[in-house]
Amino acid sequence: MSELDRERRELATVLQRPGVRPDPLLRITRRTFVHRSCLTGAATVAQTFAWWPLLNTIDVAYAAEEPFKFAWVSDTHLYPKSVNTRFVEKVQRAAREVQAMNPPADFMIFGGDLAQLGRANELELGVELLNEVKIRKVFIPGEHDWYYDMGAKWKQLFDKPNWTFDHKGVRFIGLDTVTRGPDYWTVRKMSPEERMDHMATLDGSVAGPWAGVGRDQLDWVQKTLADWDKARPVVIFSHNPLYEYYPPWNFWVRDWREVNEVLKPYTNVTNIHGHVHQVLYNEIGTMRSIGMLATSWPWPYAPEGVPKLTKPMIRADPGDFYDGVGWETLSMNKDRIETQYVMWGRKEVFVQSPPDSSLSQPEILRPRIADQIWPY
Amino acid sequence: MKTSARFTVVLTRPCLVGALGVIALVVGPASANKDPVTPQQLKAYEDAFMEQVRIGDLLFHGDAALAKKMNVVLTTTGMACAMCHPFASDTHPQAFPKYQVSMNKFATLRDMINWCIEKPNQGEKIDSDSDAMKALEAYIYWSNTGSVLVPGKY
Repeated sequence: MSELDRERRELATVLQRPGVRPDPLLRITRRTFVHRSCLTGAATVAQTFAWWPLLNTIDVAYAAEEPFKFAWVSDTHLYPKSVNTRFVEKVQRAAREVQAMNPPADFMIFGGDLAQLGRANELELGVELLNEVKIRKVFIPGEHDWYYDMGAKWKQLFDKPNWTFDHKGVRFIGLDTVTRGPDYWTVRKMSPEERMDHMATLDGSVAGPWAGVGRDQLDWVQKTLADWDKARPVVIFSHNPLYEYYPPWNFWVRDWREVNEVLKPYTNVTNIHGHVHQVLYNEIGTMRSIGMLATSWPWPYAPEGVPKLTKPMIRADPGDFYDGVGWETLSMNKDRIETQYVMWGRKEVFVQSPPDSSLSQPEILRPRIADQIWPY
Repeated sequence: MKTSARFTVVLTRPCLVGALGVIALVVGPASANKDPVTPQQLKAYEDAFMEQVRIGDLLFHGDAALAKKMNVVLTTTGMACAMCHPFASDTHPQAFPKYQVSMNKFATLRDMINWCIEKPNQGEKIDSDSDAMKALEAYIYWSNTGSVLVPGKY
Protein backbone atom coordinates (compact mmCIF):
# COMPACT_ATOMS: atom_id res chain seq x y z
CA MET A 1 0.00 0.00 0.00
CA SER A 2 1.39 3.41 -0.93
CA GLU A 3 1.91 6.15 1.63
CA LEU A 4 -0.91 8.10 -0.03
CA ASP A 5 -3.33 5.18 0.27
CA ARG A 6 -2.35 4.72 3.90
CA GLU A 7 -3.04 8.43 4.60
CA ARG A 8 -6.40 8.23 2.85
CA ARG A 9 -7.49 5.20 4.84
CA GLU A 10 -6.46 6.84 8.06
CA LEU A 11 -8.32 10.02 7.14
CA ALA A 12 -11.48 8.04 6.42
CA THR A 13 -11.17 5.96 9.58
CA VAL A 14 -10.29 8.79 11.94
CA LEU A 15 -12.28 11.70 10.56
CA GLN A 16 -15.20 10.32 8.64
CA ARG A 17 -16.85 8.13 11.24
CA PRO A 18 -20.48 7.15 10.70
CA GLY A 19 -22.80 9.73 12.18
CA VAL A 20 -20.16 12.42 12.71
CA ARG A 21 -21.24 15.48 10.77
CA PRO A 22 -20.98 19.23 11.12
CA ASP A 23 -23.66 20.88 13.29
CA PRO A 24 -26.44 18.38 14.10
CA LEU A 25 -29.00 21.21 14.07
CA LEU A 26 -28.43 21.62 10.36
CA ARG A 27 -31.34 23.12 8.54
CA ILE A 28 -32.59 20.62 6.05
CA THR A 29 -32.45 22.10 2.59
CA ARG A 30 -32.51 20.31 -0.68
CA ARG A 31 -28.79 20.53 -0.88
CA THR A 32 -28.03 19.22 2.59
CA PHE A 33 -30.51 16.46 2.03
CA VAL A 34 -28.49 15.48 -0.99
CA HIS A 35 -25.29 15.56 1.05
CA ARG A 36 -26.79 13.09 3.48
CA SER A 37 -27.95 10.88 0.67
CA CYS A 38 -24.44 10.85 -0.72
CA LEU A 39 -22.96 9.97 2.63
CA THR A 40 -25.26 7.05 3.25
CA GLY A 41 -25.13 5.71 -0.27
CA ALA A 42 -22.21 4.56 -2.37
CA ALA A 43 -21.58 7.95 -3.95
CA THR A 44 -19.51 7.28 -7.00
CA VAL A 45 -18.72 10.20 -9.24
CA ALA A 46 -21.38 9.14 -11.71
CA GLN A 47 -23.98 8.90 -8.99
CA THR A 48 -22.98 12.26 -7.65
CA PHE A 49 -23.57 13.80 -11.07
CA ALA A 50 -27.01 12.32 -11.04
CA TRP A 51 -27.84 13.25 -7.46
CA TRP A 52 -26.85 16.87 -7.28
CA PRO A 53 -29.49 19.51 -7.89
CA LEU A 54 -28.68 22.46 -10.12
CA LEU A 55 -27.68 24.83 -7.35
CA ASN A 56 -24.64 27.02 -7.08
CA THR A 57 -24.93 27.73 -3.40
CA ILE A 58 -23.87 25.85 -0.32
CA ASP A 59 -26.26 26.04 2.60
CA VAL A 60 -25.08 25.54 6.13
CA ALA A 61 -26.87 26.04 9.43
CA TYR A 62 -25.65 29.18 11.10
CA ALA A 63 -26.37 31.33 14.09
CA ALA A 64 -25.02 34.71 13.11
CA GLU A 65 -26.63 37.66 14.94
CA GLU A 66 -27.65 39.49 11.78
CA PRO A 67 -27.33 38.83 8.06
CA PHE A 68 -24.21 40.02 6.28
CA LYS A 69 -22.05 39.27 3.31
CA PHE A 70 -18.35 39.09 2.75
CA ALA A 71 -16.23 38.50 -0.33
CA TRP A 72 -13.30 36.20 -1.03
CA VAL A 73 -10.62 36.82 -3.64
CA SER A 74 -7.44 34.74 -3.91
CA ASP A 75 -4.75 33.22 -6.09
CA THR A 76 -4.21 36.22 -8.34
CA HIS A 77 -0.57 35.14 -9.05
CA LEU A 78 0.46 38.57 -10.27
CA TYR A 79 3.49 39.06 -12.46
CA PRO A 80 4.71 42.60 -13.13
CA LYS A 81 2.61 44.31 -15.81
CA SER A 82 5.55 44.11 -18.21
CA VAL A 83 5.32 40.29 -18.22
CA ASN A 84 1.61 39.65 -18.11
CA THR A 85 -1.38 41.99 -18.17
CA ARG A 86 -3.94 39.19 -18.32
CA PHE A 87 -3.75 38.46 -14.58
CA VAL A 88 -3.76 42.19 -13.81
CA GLU A 89 -6.99 42.71 -15.74
CA LYS A 90 -8.68 39.90 -13.87
CA VAL A 91 -7.77 41.39 -10.48
CA GLN A 92 -9.11 44.74 -11.66
CA ARG A 93 -12.35 43.07 -12.65
CA ALA A 94 -12.68 41.22 -9.33
CA ALA A 95 -11.94 44.42 -7.40
CA ARG A 96 -14.57 46.36 -9.37
CA GLU A 97 -17.16 43.66 -8.79
CA VAL A 98 -16.45 43.31 -5.07
CA GLN A 99 -16.70 47.09 -4.66
CA ALA A 100 -20.00 47.10 -6.60
CA MET A 101 -21.68 44.49 -4.37
CA ASN A 102 -25.11 45.68 -3.30
CA PRO A 103 -25.71 45.46 -0.41
CA PRO A 104 -22.00 45.94 0.15
CA ALA A 105 -19.84 43.26 1.66
CA ASP A 106 -18.81 43.84 5.28
CA PHE A 107 -15.23 42.86 4.44
CA MET A 108 -13.07 41.08 1.89
CA ILE A 109 -10.71 38.19 2.57
CA PHE A 110 -7.69 37.78 0.36
CA GLY A 111 -6.77 34.10 0.55
CA GLY A 112 -3.11 34.10 -0.53
CA ASP A 113 -0.92 33.91 -3.64
CA LEU A 114 -1.21 37.59 -4.45
CA ALA A 115 2.17 37.35 -6.25
CA GLN A 116 3.51 34.71 -8.64
CA LEU A 117 7.20 34.84 -7.72
CA GLY A 118 7.08 36.67 -4.41
CA ARG A 119 8.79 39.81 -5.68
CA ALA A 120 8.19 43.13 -3.95
CA ASN A 121 6.88 44.73 -7.15
CA GLU A 122 4.33 41.92 -7.58
CA LEU A 123 3.03 42.30 -4.02
CA GLU A 124 2.94 46.09 -4.36
CA LEU A 125 1.03 45.76 -7.63
CA GLY A 126 -1.53 43.62 -5.81
CA VAL A 127 -1.98 46.24 -3.12
CA GLU A 128 -2.38 48.94 -5.77
CA LEU A 129 -5.01 46.98 -7.72
CA LEU A 130 -6.97 46.03 -4.60
CA ASN A 131 -7.02 49.66 -3.47
CA GLU A 132 -10.15 49.83 -5.63
CA VAL A 133 -11.85 47.83 -2.89
CA LYS A 134 -12.68 50.35 -0.19
CA ILE A 135 -14.20 47.99 2.39
CA ARG A 136 -12.09 46.34 5.10
CA LYS A 137 -9.58 43.86 3.65
CA VAL A 138 -7.72 41.14 5.50
CA PHE A 139 -4.96 38.98 4.03
CA ILE A 140 -3.46 35.58 4.61
CA PRO A 141 -0.31 34.52 2.74
CA GLY A 142 0.18 31.92 0.01
CA GLU A 143 3.43 30.12 -0.71
CA HIS A 144 4.01 32.27 -3.82
CA ASP A 145 4.01 35.36 -1.61
CA TRP A 146 6.56 34.13 0.87
CA TYR A 147 9.60 32.18 -0.31
CA TYR A 148 11.54 34.82 -2.24
CA ASP A 149 12.34 36.94 0.84
CA MET A 150 10.80 34.63 3.49
CA GLY A 151 7.85 36.92 3.98
CA ALA A 152 9.75 40.17 4.62
CA LYS A 153 7.78 42.24 2.10
CA TRP A 154 4.48 40.50 2.86
CA LYS A 155 4.78 41.24 6.59
CA GLN A 156 5.70 44.84 5.85
CA LEU A 157 2.52 45.22 3.77
CA PHE A 158 0.04 43.07 5.69
CA ASP A 159 1.48 42.55 9.19
CA LYS A 160 0.82 39.15 10.82
CA PRO A 161 0.05 36.09 8.69
CA ASN A 162 -2.54 34.82 11.19
CA TRP A 163 -5.25 36.73 13.02
CA THR A 164 -8.74 36.52 14.51
CA PHE A 165 -11.75 38.79 14.86
CA ASP A 166 -15.41 38.50 15.81
CA HIS A 167 -18.10 39.85 13.54
CA LYS A 168 -21.85 39.76 14.19
CA GLY A 169 -21.75 36.59 16.23
CA VAL A 170 -19.20 34.69 14.16
CA ARG A 171 -15.56 34.11 15.14
CA PHE A 172 -13.27 34.43 12.12
CA ILE A 173 -9.75 33.01 12.15
CA GLY A 174 -7.13 33.55 9.46
CA LEU A 175 -4.54 30.76 9.44
CA ASP A 176 -1.06 30.71 7.99
CA THR A 177 -0.52 27.32 6.33
CA VAL A 178 2.46 28.21 4.14
CA THR A 179 5.40 29.55 6.12
CA ARG A 180 6.50 26.37 7.92
CA GLY A 181 7.95 24.51 4.95
CA PRO A 182 11.01 22.28 5.45
CA ASP A 183 14.34 23.93 4.62
CA TYR A 184 15.21 22.56 1.17
CA TRP A 185 17.43 25.47 0.18
CA THR A 186 20.28 25.80 2.68
CA VAL A 187 22.21 22.59 2.00
CA ARG A 188 21.66 23.03 -1.73
CA LYS A 189 22.93 26.60 -1.49
CA MET A 190 19.99 27.98 -3.45
CA SER A 191 19.58 31.64 -4.30
CA PRO A 192 16.29 33.29 -3.26
CA GLU A 193 15.20 33.06 -6.91
CA GLU A 194 15.87 29.31 -7.04
CA ARG A 195 14.11 28.75 -3.71
CA MET A 196 11.07 30.64 -5.01
CA ASP A 197 11.05 28.84 -8.37
CA HIS A 198 10.84 25.45 -6.68
CA MET A 199 8.09 26.64 -4.35
CA ALA A 200 6.20 28.18 -7.27
CA THR A 201 6.04 24.85 -9.13
CA LEU A 202 2.90 23.12 -7.89
CA ASP A 203 3.99 19.68 -9.05
CA GLY A 204 7.63 20.13 -8.08
CA SER A 205 9.20 17.59 -5.77
CA VAL A 206 11.94 19.69 -4.20
CA ALA A 207 9.92 21.88 -1.79
CA GLY A 208 8.26 18.77 -0.32
CA PRO A 209 5.32 18.77 2.10
CA TRP A 210 5.48 22.46 2.90
CA ALA A 211 1.83 23.00 3.85
CA GLY A 212 1.19 22.85 7.59
CA VAL A 213 -0.33 24.72 10.50
CA GLY A 214 2.34 24.01 13.11
CA ARG A 215 2.04 23.16 16.81
CA ASP A 216 2.62 26.76 17.88
CA GLN A 217 -0.20 28.06 15.72
CA LEU A 218 -2.53 25.23 16.76
CA ASP A 219 -1.93 26.19 20.38
CA TRP A 220 -2.86 29.73 19.41
CA VAL A 221 -6.08 28.48 17.74
CA GLN A 222 -6.92 26.48 20.84
CA LYS A 223 -6.41 29.55 23.02
CA THR A 224 -8.40 31.71 20.60
CA LEU A 225 -11.36 29.34 20.75
CA ALA A 226 -11.14 28.60 24.48
CA ASP A 227 -13.77 31.22 25.42
CA TRP A 228 -16.03 30.48 22.42
CA ASP A 229 -19.24 28.52 22.86
CA LYS A 230 -18.70 25.19 21.11
CA ALA A 231 -21.97 25.44 19.19
CA ARG A 232 -21.41 28.98 17.90
CA PRO A 233 -20.15 29.56 14.38
CA VAL A 234 -16.46 29.61 13.57
CA VAL A 235 -15.13 30.38 10.09
CA ILE A 236 -11.49 29.54 9.41
CA PHE A 237 -9.70 30.95 6.38
CA SER A 238 -6.59 29.16 5.12
CA HIS A 239 -4.64 29.03 1.90
CA ASN A 240 -4.52 25.22 1.83
CA PRO A 241 -7.39 22.84 2.60
CA LEU A 242 -7.22 21.58 6.20
CA TYR A 243 -7.56 17.94 5.25
CA GLU A 244 -5.70 15.51 3.01
CA TYR A 245 -6.86 15.74 -0.61
CA TYR A 246 -3.71 15.37 -2.76
CA PRO A 247 -0.36 15.78 -0.94
CA PRO A 248 1.86 15.74 -4.07
CA TRP A 249 0.43 19.17 -4.94
CA ASN A 250 0.15 20.22 -1.29
CA PHE A 251 -3.64 20.07 -1.54
CA TRP A 252 -3.59 19.40 2.25
CA VAL A 253 -1.89 20.37 5.47
CA ARG A 254 0.53 17.74 6.68
CA ASP A 255 -0.71 18.07 10.28
CA TRP A 256 -4.39 17.54 9.50
CA ARG A 257 -4.65 15.06 12.38
CA GLU A 258 -3.63 17.69 14.93
CA VAL A 259 -5.89 20.31 13.30
CA ASN A 260 -8.81 17.94 13.71
CA GLU A 261 -7.91 17.29 17.36
CA VAL A 262 -8.08 21.02 18.11
CA LEU A 263 -11.31 21.66 16.19
CA LYS A 264 -13.17 18.48 17.16
CA PRO A 265 -15.07 19.97 20.11
CA TYR A 266 -16.55 22.73 17.93
CA THR A 267 -19.64 21.67 16.01
CA ASN A 268 -20.09 24.64 13.71
CA VAL A 269 -16.82 25.14 11.85
CA THR A 270 -16.47 26.14 8.21
CA ASN A 271 -13.09 26.24 6.49
CA ILE A 272 -12.81 28.41 3.40
CA HIS A 273 -9.59 27.84 1.47
CA GLY A 274 -7.76 28.76 -1.74
CA HIS A 275 -4.70 27.14 -3.40
CA VAL A 276 -6.67 24.53 -5.34
CA HIS A 277 -8.11 27.00 -7.90
CA GLN A 278 -11.26 24.87 -8.13
CA VAL A 279 -14.68 24.19 -6.68
CA LEU A 280 -14.38 21.77 -3.76
CA TYR A 281 -16.66 20.71 -0.94
CA ASN A 282 -15.93 18.26 1.85
CA GLU A 283 -16.97 17.41 5.37
CA ILE A 284 -14.27 16.28 7.76
CA GLY A 285 -15.55 15.29 11.16
CA THR A 286 -17.54 18.29 12.34
CA MET A 287 -15.92 20.73 9.91
CA ARG A 288 -17.13 21.83 6.50
CA SER A 289 -14.53 22.74 3.93
CA ILE A 290 -15.17 24.83 0.82
CA GLY A 291 -12.61 25.43 -1.94
CA MET A 292 -12.50 28.74 -3.79
CA LEU A 293 -11.72 29.74 -7.36
CA ALA A 294 -8.60 31.62 -8.40
CA THR A 295 -8.73 34.75 -10.51
CA SER A 296 -5.62 33.63 -12.44
CA TRP A 297 -6.17 30.14 -13.87
CA PRO A 298 -7.98 26.92 -12.86
CA TRP A 299 -6.09 23.82 -11.71
CA PRO A 300 -7.42 20.50 -12.91
CA TYR A 301 -8.84 18.14 -10.31
CA ALA A 302 -6.20 15.80 -8.92
CA PRO A 303 -6.22 12.31 -10.47
CA GLU A 304 -7.39 10.85 -7.16
CA GLY A 305 -8.71 11.99 -3.79
CA VAL A 306 -11.43 14.38 -4.99
CA PRO A 307 -13.96 14.37 -2.11
CA LYS A 308 -17.13 12.46 -2.95
CA LEU A 309 -19.21 15.36 -1.64
CA THR A 310 -17.74 17.70 -4.25
CA LYS A 311 -19.87 18.48 -7.21
CA PRO A 312 -17.11 19.19 -9.75
CA MET A 313 -16.85 22.47 -11.59
CA ILE A 314 -17.19 22.54 -15.32
CA ARG A 315 -14.17 21.78 -17.51
CA ALA A 316 -12.72 25.15 -18.45
CA ASP A 317 -12.04 26.32 -21.99
CA PRO A 318 -8.30 27.13 -22.09
CA GLY A 319 -8.92 29.54 -24.96
CA ASP A 320 -11.00 31.80 -22.71
CA PHE A 321 -8.85 33.42 -20.02
CA TYR A 322 -11.96 34.32 -18.04
CA ASP A 323 -13.27 30.76 -17.91
CA GLY A 324 -12.93 28.57 -14.83
CA VAL A 325 -11.83 31.50 -12.68
CA GLY A 326 -13.43 34.26 -10.58
CA TRP A 327 -14.21 35.11 -6.97
CA GLU A 328 -16.89 34.45 -4.35
CA THR A 329 -19.56 36.11 -2.26
CA LEU A 330 -20.49 34.51 1.03
CA SER A 331 -23.77 35.50 2.68
CA MET A 332 -24.49 34.78 6.30
CA ASN A 333 -27.80 35.10 8.09
CA LYS A 334 -29.15 33.53 11.19
CA ASP A 335 -29.52 30.08 9.76
CA ARG A 336 -27.27 29.73 6.78
CA ILE A 337 -24.11 30.59 4.95
CA GLU A 338 -24.50 30.69 1.21
CA THR A 339 -21.46 30.50 -1.02
CA GLN A 340 -21.85 31.83 -4.50
CA TYR A 341 -19.12 31.20 -7.03
CA VAL A 342 -18.79 34.12 -9.43
CA MET A 343 -17.22 32.31 -12.38
CA TRP A 344 -16.65 34.67 -15.26
CA GLY A 345 -17.81 33.52 -18.65
CA ARG A 346 -20.07 30.73 -17.36
CA LYS A 347 -23.72 30.50 -16.49
CA GLU A 348 -23.29 26.97 -15.11
CA VAL A 349 -20.45 26.59 -12.64
CA PHE A 350 -21.02 22.89 -12.03
CA VAL A 351 -20.88 19.97 -14.42
CA GLN A 352 -24.23 18.98 -15.85
CA SER A 353 -23.15 15.61 -17.22
CA PRO A 354 -19.95 13.51 -17.07
CA PRO A 355 -18.47 14.86 -20.34
CA ASP A 356 -18.49 18.37 -18.80
CA SER A 357 -15.91 17.18 -16.26
CA SER A 358 -12.23 16.42 -16.64
CA LEU A 359 -12.86 13.64 -14.11
CA SER A 360 -14.78 11.68 -16.74
CA GLN A 361 -11.43 10.95 -18.41
CA PRO A 362 -9.55 8.68 -15.97
CA GLU A 363 -5.82 9.31 -15.93
CA ILE A 364 -2.86 7.67 -14.26
CA LEU A 365 -0.05 10.13 -13.61
CA ARG A 366 3.60 9.99 -12.60
CA PRO A 367 5.45 12.69 -10.67
CA ARG A 368 8.02 14.73 -12.56
CA ILE A 369 11.68 13.74 -12.58
CA ALA A 370 13.75 16.58 -13.97
CA ASP A 371 13.89 18.48 -10.68
CA GLN A 372 15.32 15.40 -8.93
CA ILE A 373 18.37 15.31 -11.20
CA TRP A 374 21.52 17.18 -10.24
CA PRO A 375 21.90 19.97 -9.23
CA TYR A 376 18.45 19.54 -7.62
CA MET B 1 27.90 -21.21 -49.44
CA LYS B 2 28.40 -18.82 -52.25
CA THR B 3 28.13 -15.85 -49.93
CA SER B 4 30.61 -17.32 -47.43
CA ALA B 5 33.07 -18.02 -50.19
CA ARG B 6 32.94 -14.44 -51.37
CA PHE B 7 33.32 -13.19 -47.77
CA THR B 8 36.41 -15.34 -47.32
CA VAL B 9 37.88 -13.82 -50.43
CA VAL B 10 37.29 -10.35 -49.06
CA LEU B 11 38.99 -11.23 -45.79
CA THR B 12 42.06 -12.46 -47.54
CA ARG B 13 42.69 -9.12 -49.22
CA PRO B 14 44.45 -6.77 -46.79
CA CYS B 15 43.68 -3.78 -48.96
CA LEU B 16 39.98 -4.18 -48.23
CA VAL B 17 40.24 -4.12 -44.43
CA GLY B 18 39.04 -0.55 -44.41
CA ALA B 19 36.01 -1.49 -46.48
CA LEU B 20 35.23 -4.24 -43.98
CA GLY B 21 35.05 -1.69 -41.26
CA VAL B 22 32.45 0.21 -43.25
CA ILE B 23 30.45 -2.96 -43.87
CA ALA B 24 30.54 -3.82 -40.17
CA LEU B 25 29.26 -0.38 -39.39
CA VAL B 26 26.38 -0.76 -41.82
CA VAL B 27 25.51 -4.34 -40.95
CA GLY B 28 26.10 -4.01 -37.20
CA PRO B 29 22.88 -2.29 -36.13
CA ALA B 30 20.79 -4.52 -38.38
CA SER B 31 22.28 -7.71 -37.04
CA ALA B 32 21.90 -6.39 -33.47
CA ASN B 33 18.16 -6.68 -33.97
CA LYS B 34 18.58 -10.36 -34.67
CA ASP B 35 20.37 -11.07 -31.40
CA PRO B 36 18.89 -11.37 -27.92
CA VAL B 37 18.89 -7.95 -26.27
CA THR B 38 21.49 -7.39 -23.58
CA PRO B 39 20.94 -5.49 -20.33
CA GLN B 40 23.43 -2.89 -21.56
CA GLN B 41 21.43 -2.34 -24.73
CA LEU B 42 18.18 -2.11 -22.79
CA LYS B 43 19.67 0.50 -20.53
CA ALA B 44 20.98 2.46 -23.51
CA TYR B 45 17.54 2.42 -25.15
CA GLU B 46 15.84 3.50 -21.93
CA ASP B 47 18.43 6.20 -21.32
CA ALA B 48 17.82 7.58 -24.83
CA PHE B 49 14.10 7.78 -24.07
CA MET B 50 14.46 9.18 -20.56
CA GLU B 51 16.80 11.89 -21.77
CA GLN B 52 13.96 13.13 -24.01
CA VAL B 53 11.53 12.86 -21.09
CA ARG B 54 13.89 14.94 -18.97
CA ILE B 55 14.21 17.61 -21.65
CA GLY B 56 10.44 17.61 -22.16
CA ASP B 57 9.87 17.88 -18.40
CA LEU B 58 12.09 20.96 -18.23
CA LEU B 59 10.44 22.62 -21.24
CA PHE B 60 6.99 21.74 -19.90
CA HIS B 61 7.89 23.43 -16.60
CA GLY B 62 9.10 26.62 -18.24
CA ASP B 63 12.91 26.24 -18.27
CA ALA B 64 13.70 29.43 -20.18
CA ALA B 65 17.42 28.71 -20.62
CA LEU B 66 16.77 25.34 -22.25
CA ALA B 67 14.06 26.78 -24.51
CA LYS B 68 16.49 29.44 -25.65
CA LYS B 69 19.18 26.84 -26.27
CA MET B 70 16.73 24.82 -28.38
CA ASN B 71 15.70 27.97 -30.21
CA VAL B 72 12.01 27.82 -29.30
CA VAL B 73 9.71 30.42 -27.75
CA LEU B 74 7.13 28.41 -25.82
CA THR B 75 5.67 31.36 -23.93
CA THR B 76 5.70 35.13 -23.65
CA THR B 77 3.26 35.48 -20.75
CA GLY B 78 5.10 33.83 -17.87
CA MET B 79 2.75 30.85 -18.27
CA ALA B 80 4.28 27.38 -18.54
CA CYS B 81 2.51 24.20 -19.63
CA ALA B 82 2.68 22.76 -16.09
CA MET B 83 0.81 25.74 -14.66
CA CYS B 84 -2.42 24.29 -16.07
CA HIS B 85 -1.19 20.69 -16.28
CA PRO B 86 0.67 19.60 -13.13
CA PHE B 87 2.10 16.09 -13.71
CA ALA B 88 0.91 16.63 -17.31
CA SER B 89 -2.60 16.05 -15.96
CA ASP B 90 -5.57 16.99 -18.09
CA THR B 91 -3.45 16.69 -21.26
CA HIS B 92 -5.11 13.35 -22.03
CA PRO B 93 -2.60 12.09 -24.60
CA GLN B 94 -4.50 8.82 -24.56
CA ALA B 95 -7.51 10.52 -26.18
CA PHE B 96 -5.67 11.73 -29.30
CA PRO B 97 -6.17 11.86 -32.19
CA LYS B 98 -9.63 13.35 -31.83
CA TYR B 99 -11.92 16.11 -32.93
CA GLN B 100 -10.63 19.03 -30.88
CA VAL B 101 -13.38 21.53 -30.19
CA SER B 102 -11.10 24.47 -29.38
CA MET B 103 -9.43 24.07 -32.80
CA ASN B 104 -12.54 23.01 -34.65
CA LYS B 105 -10.61 20.24 -36.40
CA PHE B 106 -9.43 16.66 -36.18
CA ALA B 107 -6.18 16.99 -34.25
CA THR B 108 -3.15 15.14 -32.96
CA LEU B 109 -1.42 15.66 -29.63
CA ARG B 110 1.24 17.67 -31.47
CA ASP B 111 -1.47 19.97 -32.88
CA MET B 112 -2.78 20.45 -29.36
CA ILE B 113 0.67 21.20 -27.94
CA ASN B 114 1.11 23.89 -30.57
CA TRP B 115 -2.34 25.31 -29.87
CA CYS B 116 -1.44 25.70 -26.19
CA ILE B 117 1.88 27.31 -27.09
CA GLU B 118 0.18 29.81 -29.38
CA LYS B 119 -3.03 30.62 -27.47
CA PRO B 120 -2.75 30.49 -23.67
CA ASN B 121 1.05 30.86 -23.62
CA GLN B 122 1.20 33.30 -26.57
CA GLY B 123 4.46 31.74 -27.70
CA GLU B 124 5.59 30.76 -31.19
CA LYS B 125 4.36 27.61 -32.89
CA ILE B 126 7.13 24.99 -33.15
CA ASP B 127 7.88 22.58 -35.99
CA SER B 128 5.84 19.44 -35.41
CA ASP B 129 8.92 17.25 -36.03
CA SER B 130 11.31 19.40 -34.00
CA ASP B 131 13.41 18.14 -31.10
CA ALA B 132 11.41 20.30 -28.69
CA MET B 133 8.10 18.84 -29.91
CA LYS B 134 9.37 15.25 -29.61
CA ALA B 135 10.65 15.94 -26.11
CA LEU B 136 7.38 17.55 -24.99
CA GLU B 137 5.47 14.61 -26.44
CA ALA B 138 7.81 12.14 -24.70
CA TYR B 139 7.26 13.82 -21.33
CA ILE B 140 3.49 14.00 -21.70
CA TYR B 141 3.20 10.34 -22.73
CA TRP B 142 5.62 9.17 -20.06
CA SER B 143 3.81 11.13 -17.36
CA ASN B 144 0.52 9.49 -18.37
CA THR B 145 1.98 5.97 -18.45
CA GLY B 146 -0.70 3.44 -17.56
CA SER B 147 -3.64 5.56 -18.69
CA VAL B 148 -5.96 3.60 -20.94
CA LEU B 149 -6.05 4.45 -24.65
CA VAL B 150 -9.37 6.05 -25.56
CA PRO B 151 -8.69 7.66 -28.96
CA GLY B 152 -11.36 10.11 -30.02
CA LYS B 153 -12.83 10.63 -26.54
CA TYR B 154 -14.11 14.16 -25.90
